[in-house]
Amino acid sequence: MEPLIPEKAKISPFLVFFLVHTMQFGIGILGFQRLIALTAGYDAWISVIIAGLSIHVILWMMYRILDTVNGDIMSANSYVFGKKVGRLITLPYVLYFLCVALTTLRTFIEVVQVWMFQDMSTFWYAFAFCVLAIYIIFGGFRIVTGIAFFGVVLPSYLIFTFFFTFPYADLRNLLPVFDHSIKDLVKAAYQMSLTYLGYEVLLFFYPFIKDPQKSKKWAHFGVFFTTILYTAITIITFSYFSEGQLQKNIWATLTIWKVVEMPFVERFEYIGIANWNIVILPNLCIALWCGSRILKRAVHLKQKYGVLLLTTIVLITINFFKTREQINTLISYTGKISFFLNYVYIPLLFILVLIVKKVKK
Amino acid sequence: MGWFSKQDKVLERETLEKTLKRSNDFKKISYINDPTNKQFSFWFISTLIDENILQENVLPYLLEKPFEKIEDVKKIIALADVQISNNPSEIEQKLFNGYALLTLESDSHHFVFLAAQKELVRSISPPEVEFSVIGPKEAFVESINQNVNLIRKRLPVKELIVQELIVGSLSKTKVSILYLEGIVDPANVKTVMERLKNIKFDAITDSSYIVQLISDNKNSPFPQLLDTERPDRVTAILAEGKIAIFVDGSPHALITPTTLVEFFSSFEDYFLNWMLSSFFRLIRLFAVAFSILVTPIYVAALSYHYELIPTDLMNTLVTSRRDIPLPPILEALFLELTIELLREAGARLPTKVGQTIGIVGGIVIGTASVEAGLTSNVLLIIVALAALASFTTPVYKMGNAIRLLRFPFLFFAELWGLLGIVLCFCFLMTHLLRLTSLNRPFLEPLYPPRITDLKDSLIRLPFSKQSLRPQTLRTKKPVRYPFNNKSDIDE
Amino acid sequence: MKILISLLILSTILAGCIQKEIVDDVNLETGAAYDYTDGKIRGTALVPVYLSDKTVENKTFSSSSNLSRDFLRDVQRQSSDPLVSGSLKVVLFGERLAKEKGILDLIDSFQRDPSIGARLYLAVTEGDSKAVINGSYGERGNAIYLSNLIRHNMNSKDVPKTDLQRFLFDFNQKGKTPYLPRIKKLNKKAVEISGLSFFRYGHVVDTIPPDKMFYFKLLVDKYSKGTLKVNLGKDAAAIESIRSNYKMNLVSRKPLKVNIRIKVKAILNEYSGIRVTPKKIKMIEKKLEEEIEVECLKLTKRFQSKNIDPVGFGHFIKSKTRKFNYSKWEADYRYLKMNVQADVTITESGVID
Repeated sequence: MEPLIPEKAKISPFLVFFLVHTMQFGIGILGFQRLIALTAGYDAWISVIIAGLSIHVILWMMYRILDTVNGDIMSANSYVFGKKVGRLITLPYVLYFLCVALTTLRTFIEVVQVWMFQDMSTFWYAFAFCVLAIYIIFGGFRIVTGIAFFGVVLPSYLIFTFFFTFPYADLRNLLPVFDHSIKDLVKAAYQMSLTYLGYEVLLFFYPFIKDPQKSKKWAHFGVFFTTILYTAITIITFSYFSEGQLQKNIWATLTIWKVVEMPFVERFEYIGIANWNIVILPNLCIALWCGSRILKRAVHLKQKYGVLLLTTIVLITINFFKTREQINTLISYTGKISFFLNYVYIPLLFILVLIVKKVKK
Repeated sequence: MGWFSKQDKVLERETLEKTLKRSNDFKKISYINDPTNKQFSFWFISTLIDENILQENVLPYLLEKPFEKIEDVKKIIALADVQISNNPSEIEQKLFNGYALLTLESDSHHFVFLAAQKELVRSISPPEVEFSVIGPKEAFVESINQNVNLIRKRLPVKELIVQELIVGSLSKTKVSILYLEGIVDPANVKTVMERLKNIKFDAITDSSYIVQLISDNKNSPFPQLLDTERPDRVTAILAEGKIAIFVDGSPHALITPTTLVEFFSSFEDYFLNWMLSSFFRLIRLFAVAFSILVTPIYVAALSYHYELIPTDLMNTLVTSRRDIPLPPILEALFLELTIELLREAGARLPTKVGQTIGIVGGIVIGTASVEAGLTSNVLLIIVALAALASFTTPVYKMGNAIRLLRFPFLFFAELWGLLGIVLCFCFLMTHLLRLTSLNRPFLEPLYPPRITDLKDSLIRLPFSKQSLRPQTLRTKKPVRYPFNNKSDIDE
Repeated sequence: MKILISLLILSTILAGCIQKEIVDDVNLETGAAYDYTDGKIRGTALVPVYLSDKTVENKTFSSSSNLSRDFLRDVQRQSSDPLVSGSLKVVLFGERLAKEKGILDLIDSFQRDPSIGARLYLAVTEGDSKAVINGSYGERGNAIYLSNLIRHNMNSKDVPKTDLQRFLFDFNQKGKTPYLPRIKKLNKKAVEISGLSFFRYGHVVDTIPPDKMFYFKLLVDKYSKGTLKVNLGKDAAAIESIRSNYKMNLVSRKPLKVNIRIKVKAILNEYSGIRVTPKKIKMIEKKLEEEIEVECLKLTKRFQSKNIDPVGFGHFIKSKTRKFNYSKWEADYRYLKMNVQADVTITESGVID
């Protein structure tokens, strides 16, 4: 049945902000600007806001589901479909989180390989990273949350580096506003929502929150904060690059860092990329933790073994993605699955839970 | 049955006497009481006894005043601590604690323990490790009674509880736990007591042994109990709701539970104005970060990331490295190891020689190696500054941990440049996150973030803002003293 | 178990290593010069050699090839230490290369290389760029000299700000064309900035001399600290403009008319007359306004005739128009009417009157 989580393994509701925010803020931010500008031009910042606001609706639905069931998503699935089918339906999430972990790690290593160390071996760096992730997850969910907390707080100074673009900024790039059709904006919003994904981890760690009712406002605030950050960066990017220039730059955010110049360090992008390590570490850890937790709940595999198993799979498969094309395919597939799980499956589950609740009464 | 046990007891005493007779400082002397002609004998360890006490307070009375039974002895001896007992197993413990055993010829089952300890103690001297310019200059000494005396003097309330234990199968060290009842969290006390009781060790000679035996994580270079030799510090933490552990024979008291930020605060911070002490604390933190990171950053920047170096500095750096045969990592390792050698050598040599070697060694070796072209002068300055910065930690044990931390960072810097340094930092951060002190997270109040506790961590806010006890301790009385309301202008 | 861990650690050390670029074992390419000779692109890399007495010697390596940045590969065969281009500060393009072959391929390779910074200074040279880069200017190396020369002129004098980032911005922006400063070599030890070159699709199509640079900077850059001389009858006055601002206004669409309003706040620097009275100041201001309006209009008309748009009228009109059609703009540009309005305020006249 539902394993009881000991009180000392639970986290305080305020920390949900960091968990949700860090999962959304990962590798997508380095290069999302090009994709959304392709569909909606320089009006895409509106799409960013639209996509961000739509998440609040999904988040609200998630909380309603979890409150009714008072457990995580597997409990919700069991509630609606019965125990056996519920377990089966939750298992694909393991695959999904594997993809997320793989994407995060591979795209980061790709960035390092293109920008910093051209001959860095994918495998050994991934290995060291996975060892670190295992060390973190073995410490328990509180430690994972701690890493999420530091993963938000420590790199937060990077926001100030964007101020260096102001001398180069030309806000006229954004005018005239609303020069694109609503259809374009919605298409770009769809693109953007793929970058925003990550808040679904709430479905998995809900039982670990002390006093879950209090965490609602923190989760919403986390999503809102992410939306604001993404919008700000979008506007800064759009005013820094001209449209043609942006389409050429795969990683627009990193190109922006090329212009940061401080008296004691001449080229900031290396420091920025090294710090990005701290930003994506929680993403990897949370993904692996969620995956191994589902394994534990569904097939009763001890979480320690689950983590080791998943990490081994990641390490083996990461070597198969060698070219930009393959990595792009991986990213788009993960994005599509994620979109389906969040925007299609969750509302469906929400309705079903409400129906079942009425029936059970 | 009773007869058997009585025989056993006499047998026990005789076996004990045989073993004791092997030591030449064991004395068994018999006397005859004048008035009643009763024979009595003393057993004592002469090296542990203050003979004056026996000669002045005990012997004259026993020799001259009459006594019949053993209970009479209590009435005539001018000694405060006189215990009558009939349990032979206590004899060994009491004898070796400095008690003299008095037996009457007539009564072979009862004996009297007379307290006659010779306390050879250092007199109270200023603290050596935690020296402060202003403030009290009393430090703990090796006698646990003296130490507890210093604390009792400062907290003369009945809530200050002292609980004693004996640890160590051979050393039988007396360990005392101090806490303020009604303020401290009883669960903490219970944990400490249990852990101390479960210690299985033979000879405990210093509080550091206790630290290593009851730490939550023994595989960490970071100490999880704070050690201090200042009574004022112990008083302050007791008032906060923490527990102090004293170990007989050690001038360092232990404080638990602790957090990481306490290791970077020197007690002098509380004597200075809060603005000054906040500034100094921040300098200390910066110094520690600098000390750990600067050499690895040098290695990383010079080996992999030449683009980071500002143009003006480039000339200096390249010229300084022009004739050096070693790559930056080996150069850095060479200098770091030299500094470690100097430190170790300076610690072993007697004071007068040690200081000279330190200065001469540092300057001479440094200058000579630069001129010979083995190391660059820039790196020499960096390494020397880093070493200097690592001395700013007020707690010696933490300073040692910092010394060690530099090497993994150097290793990772060599492997993956800046990325390696960040990776190593993540490892360090995880390690610190996983540490607990008495089952409480070590990194509080940084994580889990407790805003009210931050006022005395990285900076120190004035006393008027510190009227609440730290949340992390879950004390029973969270309010320390009432704070006064603010009044308007000219009111 | 322990053996496994140590094996893993050992293999990480051995296999996870990456190529080192130890700072004193590489040749930092700090400056580059490209010329177009005999149908081939000749590239010259400028490398500072740091001597032990803290002076810097300049060393150049040259090689020709058909591809643009390929020369680096050939040059490696001449250099004792590997050449790395992460420290590139200034790139010079020879006049012939800029006019005939165009610099687009080279710019593309600068964009693609992750180790090249965005604040790279680009310039066109009069004559061969190899000759310019082969001088010995200053004591800190040619590249630092040239980049400092360009930078301080951009920050506080008459050259409008431009570097790789701005060049790419302007180039990729439909409705704007880029421009770069021109450098002329005076003698073996001196160079000077001798004007601006304007590009169209990567080829130089126009240049303006240094005395016109001030007016151009008023049109494109928000703040400038340049100087200007004006004649007032028999007296001459010189001002230092401490702040300037420009605002474009779309007055009408058919016919397309744009009004540029330039606001200048200046201090009087030099006056050859006897005393400066408020009336005189008003006269100076008026004269300045006239000069600015006339010259700026001349410039814009000149750009229009050469079909380049460095001021960015296209970009401006796009920001005010919905569903802007760029191809229509290409044709419409020559019919654009521009009007320049200047407003000069002399705030101070120094410490004397």
